[in-house]
Amino acid sequence: MIATILNQVLAFVALVLMQAMVLDHLDLANGWVVPYLYVFFLIALPFNTPPWATLLLGFALGMAMDFFTSTPGMHASACTLMAFVRLLMLRLLAPRDGYDPLKRPIVAHMGMAWYITFASALILAHHLWLFFVEVYRFDNFPSTFLRAVMSAAATLLLCLLAQALTTRATRLQ
Amino acid sequence: MRDLFRFFFRQRNNLLFLALMALSMYLLINGNMHQRAQAISSSNAVIGQLYSVRNEVAEYAGLREVNRRLAAALAAERNLRYSLPLRADSAPPDTDSTGLQTYRFITAHVINGTVHKERNYITLGSGSLAGIRPDMGVIGMDGLVGIVREVSPHFALVTSVLGNEFRTSVRLKRTGHFGLLTWDTGDPAAASLTDVANHVPVSPGDTVVTGGNDGIFPPDIMVGTVTNVDDDPSSNFHGIKVHLSEDLSRAAYVHVVSDLLKAERDTLQAKVAQP
Repeated sequence: MIATILNQVLAFVALVLMQAMVLDHLDLANGWVVPYLYVFFLIALPFNTPPWATLLLGFALGMAMDFFTSTPGMHASACTLMAFVRLLMLRLLAPRDGYDPLKRPIVAHMGMAWYITFASALILAHHLWLFFVEVYRFDNFPSTFLRAVMSAAATLLLCLLAQALTTRATRLQ
Repeated sequence: MRDLFRFFFRQRNNLLFLALMALSMYLLINGNMHQRAQAISSSNAVIGQLYSVRNEVAEYAGLREVNRRLAAALAAERNLRYSLPLRADSAPPDTDSTGLQTYRFITAHVINGTVHKERNYITLGSGSLAGIRPDMGVIGMDGLVGIVREVSPHFALVTSVLGNEFRTSVRLKRTGHFGLLTWDTGDPAAASLTDVANHVPVSPGDTVVTGGNDGIFPPDIMVGTVTNVDDDPSSNFHGIKVHLSEDLSRAAYVHVVSDLLKAERDTLQAKVAQP
């Protein structure tokens, strides 16, 4: 329990720093693709995280990003929404006899199909909200939409890559 | 009453979601519209330090280019100085007609910045202790960079030219007509020039400079060159695209412009504004 919490705190700090120091400064496809890997923290929370904790952690994660990007509320609202969508998706995708408490929401434990459904719903909710709040208006809807979807694909790819690279995560704990 | 409590208890997660959402929307609207969320910004001390460290590491990669550009800027400055006595028609650009210095340039180091978001911000490694105040203009070695939005003792946060909230008055150098520079292209190297009437002759290649009538930027600072004039027959104004001369993804050192006569001018104008 303590180890899990410590691991989560480390993941939180590492992902936020990684996002603010490295990924935010990438200039991919002339600004059309901005991966937000830091949301991986919310996707990978344990299954037995209480709903209230998921929501509060989402808000805290967003606020941490907002401190770096000077955009009060922007990431916070996107991550709160994402935490809410996570609760919905967990209920929607639940196995008949509930989640195995030994498993975590990662590819190695849940399978590729389950993971992609779960992660892409969360990432899309986050990115669509974030990109539309960022422009603050709905004219040139198609271009903002396309930016959000392309970035979401990049984020999903990075989430898969991050798991492929960390062999330790594949072991059942 | 007990039903009410039971309702609240059953809905506690949805209510928590709504409360957190409301809080972040409040921050979003307050922070961006009134530009007042001082605590939540990259000009605060901790985040500023982190970005300084990051910049120290990342800086080495671009040092050669920075050196070349600084040398070029110095050379241009020297050329200007030595050519001045030959140009009897114009005073140096940073003095007024009486020869009094009207602008002071504060050198600042860019420690963080983005160019690919819808609104981009730049953090400078100097703040109020160096004399930087909000609403001062920021220019790079080759052109316009942005306007100071917030300052802390050691850092300053700059609203970049690359943002849909940025607007400044600029002038077509050849014809002298004023227009408004906005960034709505999404391309870090291009901006739009609006409010230039159809009768003004504009052609690609024309130079765009600052207007100098807003008390933020000095006049005749290079902004960019016209790349494309696209006229909509139903509009009375040109649709002009401008290539920005400053490469904001590479700006390493910038000058913050302190208008020394701003206080005097504002006092004078405030007298008229009062009833």
